[in-house]
Amino acid sequence: MNFTLLSPSGFWNPLLWIAFLIIFAIIGYIIYARGNPGYKKNTEQVKPYLSGNAEPSKEEIMVRAGDIYWGFLEALKGYYDVLKTMHTGDMRDYILWYLGVGAIILFLLVGGV
Amino acid sequence: MGKLYSFKRSLWVFHASGGSCNGCDIEIIATLTPRYDAERFGIKLVGSPRHADVLLVTGAIPRDFADKLRRIYDQMSDPKAVVVVGNCGTSGGLFYDSYNLVGPIDEIIPVDVYVPGCPPRPEAIIDGVVKAWLKIEKLEKQLEGGE
Ligand code: SF4
Repeated sequence: MNFTLLSPSGFWNPLLWIAFLIIFAIIGYIIYARGNPGYKKNTEQVKPYLSGNAEPSKEEIMVRAGDIYWGFLEALKGYYDVLKTMHTGDMRDYILWYLGVGAIILFLLVGGV
Repeated sequence: MGKLYSFKRSLWVFHASGGSCNGCDIEIIATLTPRYDAERFGIKLVGSPRHADVLLVTGAIPRDFADKLRRIYDQMSDPKAVVVVGNCGTSGGLFYDSYNLVGPIDEIIPVDVYVPGCPPRPEAIIDGVVKAWLKIEKLEKQLEGGE
């Protein structure tokens, strides 16, 4: 059985790939096994070196997806402050808004001036 | 054999400077210049305490730096040794009665070798580092023997 695939764009042989995988796993294990045996887990030894400063908490330094909108939120702060108080997460509130706004629209279109 | 054994591996050194006048630090750099060339023995300065065997400390250690020095020491893996370079770190030196100092250094972290002088000459610094080297080899044997 021929395992080799030769195409104009390259060469592929899964047996060779497995052989390389095993060789690199052995090399990786040798490097790992030569590590410092005095290494202590769960101490400062595993923390990053930041010129001697304590590592800040992840929450403090993490860039969240929402931070992409930072400029937008900052520019429309007044608007978002009102919107956030309205954004309660309570379905009854939303239905109330829905009915209220619906009533106003109905009043303007049907019974309006 | 004893001395040859000392060349078993390269010795990597991390330099922490807290409140020094820079005199000692310049002498540490001088040990790396072609005249003294400590690197030919495999002794070199590294940029992170996590890669270092020896911590060289200069300066009289102002209050703000004490916790950082402690952290740097804690981040070094074992076996490790500390060398204090200069009078400042040994006894406070010129600044011994300053209100802002928390040194001498041995009150903050354990010190193995003192290199006195203001500043000490490069030969003295290399001698101090070699003394630390011997201490590390002893610690290493203890570690290998399983404490
Ligand atoms: S011991 Fe002397 S040369 Fe070294 S940092 Fe102190 S004052 Fe400067």
